[in-house]
Amino acid sequence: MIMENIKKLLFVLLLLSGACKKPTEDLKIVVDTNVIKYTALIHVTDASNPEAVLKSGTLSVSGDNADDIYEISGNKQFNINNGVITIGPGPAAVPLAGKPETYSVQVKVPGYNTVSKSISFAADQKQQVVDVSLSKAGTVNSAPVIQKPLPVYDPVSLNFTGTCSSSPDLVIRPSMYVFFRETGSGTVYQYLGYMESGNMTATALKKGETYDFQVTYDGQNYGTTQQINNESESLTINMGSAICNNF
Amino acid sequence: MKKLFLLPLLVFALGKSSKAQNANWRDQVTNQKSLHFSVGTQGVGAEFAYGVLPKMSLRLGANIIPVSADNVFSVSGFNANSKMSANFSNIHLLADFIPFKSAPGFRLVGGAGYFINAKGNIAVQPKDNYTYGDIVLNNEEVGNLNMNVNWRGFAPYAGIGLLKPFSNRTFNVNLDLGTYFLKQPDANITASGILSGNTSQSAQLQQNLKGYRFLPVVQLNFNFRIQ
Repeated sequence: MIMENIKKLLFVLLLLSGACKKPTEDLKIVVDTNVIKYTALIHVTDASNPEAVLKSGTLSVSGDNADDIYEISGNKQFNINNGVITIGPGPAAVPLAGKPETYSVQVKVPGYNTVSKSISFAADQKQQVVDVSLSKAGTVNSAPVIQKPLPVYDPVSLNFTGTCSSSPDLVIRPSMYVFFRETGSGTVYQYLGYMESGNMTATALKKGETYDFQVTYDGQNYGTTQQINNESESLTINMGSAICNNF
Repeated sequence: MKKLFLLPLLVFALGKSSKAQNANWRDQVTNQKSLHFSVGTQGVGAEFAYGVLPKMSLRLGANIIPVSADNVFSVSGFNANSKMSANFSNIHLLADFIPFKSAPGFRLVGGAGYFINAKGNIAVQPKDNYTYGDIVLNNEEVGNLNMNVNWRGFAPYAGIGLLKPFSNRTFNVNLDLGTYFLKQPDANITASGILSGNTSQSAQLQQNLKGYRFLPVVQLNFNFRIQ
């Protein structure tokens, strides 16, 4: 009888010590992409038809410290996709207060005249949008780019979570420029704003409408679709290999 | 497992065989004094024991354990080293009660401890030469991630003791098997660099660890009788 009781007690002690949930259950590794903290979105459009989508092109950077500039995915390949590319100085070359760094970029899109533009990165400006208007080869068009104005509605908080199909335990918090359009509209994507560590607030989204959201890096577009019903919406976006393979 | 169950059987048998020699075992507990030095899952420790009643003695003591282990935590697709460490130290007051005349070597043990230090930590540091595209990141840019757990506070204890609490001679050995029931831990995640977003998972870590309250004790005591 006593032995039975001792055995039961020992069994309970062993069971209790092993009955707990795994400490790391449902925990992910969250990684930020804000390695390049000072960025310029270069938005390239057709001067004669801003609604036209410029499928592809390249960009080259010149200047004293041109080697400091990277595409936002950290690569040195500067491919323009859908008229969009984001560049910035690497973490070792952040601009100092009162000493902006200026670079010259050349935008080349097949069928259009090449355009050079000067871009400065300053300590007090982490994000900037640079519009570049291209005239078709053989023509001259110096008309300024006129962007279609965005509608204004109640603010909506968007929380983007980046996923990697190759690494299910990874969660990415993207810091990137976001474009959008109404789902099914067939119109070109418009610039919505910059998301910092996956978060942004937008006033151009109407409740009840469904939108396509798009980010562009490494010459590729990544998107997701979301209906806006609440003041805060959570969105998931597959980040693709260019970002996911970094980790 | 079989061996573990055989141990109390052996002890019980020993208790029976020595019954004749310890006909006055009750008298031997009261006012007995001894110093214990221990080693076990609680680390190392020391206790002073005193027989307060014919069937019961008290133990006042302290234990301390610092442990660490490498690479206990891994994430699919994330190239990192991890290090787990735990630091526990307590002061405790335990009562040993001998319930059976026929088995003076079997004790029920109860009491409580105050854990002055009861911390666990998992540190995750991405491996060297981490790159983001063509950019090589330094350690500060990559950052690190720490999961911290703290059980500091009072904890009741329950268990059994095997072999007699006091020796007729100068020295004996006995064994404690039991568990502390720790307070619900405080858990949080601190992080820096590109890993700083992990702080948002503190609530999940707290949820995962809320059941981690049992601190099992398997402890061997080396006892020196005080005349």
